Amino acid sequence: MNLGAAILAVVQVTVMVALSPLLVGVMRQTRARLEGRAGAGVLQPWRDLRKLAAKETLRSAGTGWVSAAGPLVLVSSGLLICALVPLVGAVPFTSVPDDLFVVVSVLLIGTVALALVGLDAGTAFGGMGSSRHMTIAALVEPTVLVAVYALSIPVGSSALSRIVLARIDEPASVVSPVSLLALVALAIAVVAETGRLPVDNPSTHLELTMIHEAMVIESSGRDLGWLELGSWLRLGALLGLLGSLLVPWGVAQAVSVGALLVGVLMLALKLALLGSALAAAEVFLAKLRLFRVPELLAGSFVLAFLAVTASYLVVQAA
Amino acid sequence: MAPSAFSELLALCAGVLLLTGVLIVWRRDLRAVVRLLSVQGVALAVLVAVIGIDSRAPELFGVALLVLVLKGVVLPTVLNRVSASSGPGRVEAPMINTTSSLISVALLATLAYLVSQPLKTAGSAPAVAAVPVGIALVLFGFLVLASQRHAVSQLVGFLMLDNGIAAVAFLIAGGVPLVVELGASLDLLLVVLVLQVLTGRIRAEFGDIDLDDLNELRD
Amino acid sequence: MTAVEAGIHAQLALAVVATAAAVLAPARLRSLCSGLASAALGVAGAVTGALALAGGQGSTEIPMSIPIDPVVLSPGPLGGFFMIVAGSVGAVAAVYAIGYVQGPSASTTSWAALATFMLGMQMVPAAGDAVSFLLAWELMAVASTVLVLTEHRERAEVRSAATWYAVMTHLSFVLILLGFAVLAAAGHGTSFAAMARVEPGSAGTSLAFVLLVLGFATKAGIVPMHVWLPRAHPAAPSHVSAVMSAAMVKMGVYGVLLVALRLLPVGPQWWGLVLVALGAVSAVYGILQASVASELKRLLAYSTTENVGLMFLAIGAGVLLRSYGVVGSAEVAIGAALLLVASHAAFKTALFLGAGSIIHATGERDLDRLGGLGKRMPTTAVSFGIGALGASALPITCGFVAEWALLQSLIHGARPEDRLVAVVMPLAVAVVALTAGLALMTFVKAYGIAFLARARGTEAGTAHESPFSMRAAMVVSAIAVVGLGLVPGVMASAVVRALGLGGIDVVGPGGLGLPGVGAVLDPVALTVLALLAAAPVLAVAWRMARRRPRRRVDLAWGGGGVRVSPRMQYTATSYAEPLSRVFDDALRPERDLEITHVSESRYLVERVRFRQQLEDVVEVRAYRPAIRLVDRVGIAARRLQSGSIHRYLMYSFVALVAVLVVVSL
Repeated sequence: MNLGAAILAVVQVTVMVALSPLLVGVMRQTRARLEGRAGAGVLQPWRDLRKLAAKETLRSAGTGWVSAAGPLVLVSSGLLICALVPLVGAVPFTSVPDDLFVVVSVLLIGTVALALVGLDAGTAFGGMGSSRHMTIAALVEPTVLVAVYALSIPVGSSALSRIVLARIDEPASVVSPVSLLALVALAIAVVAETGRLPVDNPSTHLELTMIHEAMVIESSGRDLGWLELGSWLRLGALLGLLGSLLVPWGVAQAVSVGALLVGVLMLALKLALLGSALAAAEVFLAKLRLFRVPELLAGSFVLAFLAVTASYLVVQAA
Repeated sequence: MAPSAFSELLALCAGVLLLTGVLIVWRRDLRAVVRLLSVQGVALAVLVAVIGIDSRAPELFGVALLVLVLKGVVLPTVLNRVSASSGPGRVEAPMINTTSSLISVALLATLAYLVSQPLKTAGSAPAVAAVPVGIALVLFGFLVLASQRHAVSQLVGFLMLDNGIAAVAFLIAGGVPLVVELGASLDLLLVVLVLQVLTGRIRAEFGDIDLDDLNELRD
Repeated sequence: MTAVEAGIHAQLALAVVATAAAVLAPARLRSLCSGLASAALGVAGAVTGALALAGGQGSTEIPMSIPIDPVVLSPGPLGGFFMIVAGSVGAVAAVYAIGYVQGPSASTTSWAALATFMLGMQMVPAAGDAVSFLLAWELMAVASTVLVLTEHRERAEVRSAATWYAVMTHLSFVLILLGFAVLAAAGHGTSFAAMARVEPGSAGTSLAFVLLVLGFATKAGIVPMHVWLPRAHPAAPSHVSAVMSAAMVKMGVYGVLLVALRLLPVGPQWWGLVLVALGAVSAVYGILQASVASELKRLLAYSTTENVGLMFLAIGAGVLLRSYGVVGSAEVAIGAALLLVASHAAFKTALFLGAGSIIHATGERDLDRLGGLGKRMPTTAVSFGIGALGASALPITCGFVAEWALLQSLIHGARPEDRLVAVVMPLAVAVVALTAGLALMTFVKAYGIAFLARARGTEAGTAHESPFSMRAAMVVSAIAVVGLGLVPGVMASAVVRALGLGGIDVVGPGGLGLPGVGAVLDPVALTVLALLAAAPVLAVAWRMARRRPRRRVDLAWGGGGVRVSPRMQYTATSYAEPLSRVFDDALRPERDLEITHVSESRYLVERVRFRQQLEDVVEVRAYRPAIRLVDRVGIAARRLQSGSIHRYLMYSFVALVAVLVVVSL
């Protein structure tokens, strides 16, 4: 394993662990302000985590090792994604390239862990959340793969860091129709995958609508803390990836103190901007009915697919 | 104009045309659909202007202006008036559900891409490469015509079909003569105005403008 | 005698020994003796396959009593690869069967049929000409039909399943026979070498291609010829389903590869498209049906259709790309097909053996009545779980490696110049992605409902872990799933040898590289990285757990109210409900909702009865009308049968005269 990539991975993981609760805090705070509330402050997610870690963890009869191991797997897969995708810098490991399919499958390990935790609770709510979660995850996958496929065609590689680097070299490609279509599709996929509005309402506990909250409803104490941290890490990593693709500047191309510092600062800035934008958009959105979510996902798939078709047009035109 | 800038601009226009086409099929809110149609008209006008700059044909600017006024402003305004007078601005249930029609859109785009293969050799390369977009718009227009119940949606489909034909004509032939375009546009305006009147009559007759009620066109 | 020839002879001898053991051994020892001999037969097949793969030559001729050419058994490298797959799966299943069989499946017939089945299956890839191929194929088909029939006295549906299977498998035989006949007539000989000399592009080749592909696709369970699969797999005993699903359907894939690589390597572009279309439709339809199925073995059977569909898609993409001259990606695609074969063999064995273990312990096949088995059957739970990870293509299993290679070949196969390829590739990527997503949901459902939470039925609540031989077989297959995923270089080097193509090579300690498309995957490094990421999490979690252990309570938070009955948990049917709604148009479930109101007020409900039935749409729409038609013809033909001996003699007489007239003309 190359040293530069290892340093970068450690930096990315550390930064993301610190930043993703703050990201959630920023999003909640933005939303609160826009809705005319004072809000709990940006640091509240961190305070929540501390509180949950100190609380007693209950375990209901009938649950097995999955309930205990699932949250840890979710967090670990989140950390692994933070290590793999280009967030602060784009210096991949030589033997574990940040290949699109590898990243997606690591993401899916977390998805599965969460779904199994939901099922293991043995209540109607847990199963319901798990079932909806997996249905959406299954329908999102074509969009994700086809969208990144579209981005990979001009580069000739499915490695995310090479895509990001190519965009730094050729800034015009960021606003090309291919890239815009693919990024919109990807953004919808990210929203669906991380359970934000209009697919899932992260702040609801209404049984008819909740997805994520239904899965974690039986978890408590540190188990719940891990689950929350894991979900936040996924949100942070995916938004960060979107940021790197949308605004590739500032991503370190080689490992040096200066470049990493710039990278970290730019990442924090991108996350804050994207997070506030997402939160601001959420104020104006209502949650879709569950059975209209497939329409949204089909739409995002069409956009991704058209991005592929459009990429051929551009390649020919150039 | 530099060739790369030309092809970038062309690609951008084509992208907007395609995107608005998809969104028109997707959205059910009539007001939003009409807005999208007007954006599509503007994109078409810009496309014509870009081709005009590239081929140094000043008369194309006249065509572009005409397209801008007619498709970007006049027709959407007329449509808005029709839909405003026809009650709630939502189309309730299309004949095909939204998910299926979105998947059909993807497949139609593929089809458009495949059938335009023989055109590869005609015309300047970047313009011809964008021809599939025009064909795709024609197909999307037909899809809307065939699958929507609401009369205004039918008009939208018809106009999108016309946009597609115009886009193909501009991209392949580098433009049609001003007179021809003028004639075609006037025809279009006439059709829309006639249909507006017709819609009014249909509503007066049936109380709404759901074309499903017009199912006894046999005799 | 070369080593390969010795291996072939050993297999023939071991099949005789296994059959003899089944017939002669006392009932008490029958399973042990015959099972061990069958396992040895499988091992001999795998070893012979490995020798052939390593380049060993050898040709065994068995003279026949009927006046045709002798049977020629001379496995090449590709055949060797499939012999390894068939032999290993057979060996593991035979060991499993020693503990699993009881009642009719422990009978003399069943054991003898298993040995014959395994022999036939291992001889198919060894066959050197069409006649030997068809003989081995028929041996495999007949023996497996007998095995499907094993429990026909206990369960009524077994008989109908066996009828479906027998009809479809012989349809497959007839199609392949016709296809070979066309090629043999054009190439003047029944040996594969002679057939391969057929002029490419001549009229007969496309006919032969279609016939052969349809025949092999029927055996492989490709839509719309898949109808036998979801019936036969649940009907057969589980060790037989494992062999049928993990090895036998692969013979269809072998046949297609034989056609595409050896017999008809050059052909028009639509051949590749046909294969891609067959594969894509099967993959999506198969996994869609699997995701809404609630009977465990039916679910696994449909998932087989999906996996074989992916293999067809890979082969088709390879053929298509080859015909467009995109050699690098084409080689990777065909290599990916073989990786899929090997990985599917591993994880489907683990899954079917796990399902058998559940049936053995509970007698229950319906997921809706299972639950909580993880605590009662830990070995089964772990091995089934690993198999499920493989089937959902998650790292670090072999399923992940195979799908990764397939996606890489598709994503790098795009060529904007050729619009057809340019359009087919993203569609194929979308199909693979949707399939992967639905597979994930399917296996989360299968594992979660069966093994997690609390038992939904009484049988599941009193389950026990299976005997040693079953556990050993399950553990071996689970180790294969993870091992091949961790060190895919082993598989890759076998694939390269089997195909004689480049495109895939071994990188580092067992990693996989695709130089043709410039991609690399090293699961060991990925695992190390994952462990490094997990280490701090585990350390913190461990410290927290030591400071404050979890407290057990009956119901932690009471989500959903007080726990009245385990039936209040989500079931497999309810888990798949959102999906079956989304794909309502494709699945067409039949739903009945009956609400009885209280007599005083229609706002109060006394009883709600819900019934949902999911039938195979293809079967309902295509097969039932065809069966009705055949029935009518059959009833009409009955009139010929009057029962009068004179009438029958008259038929023969008329036939004789007709033949003489024809000859004299």
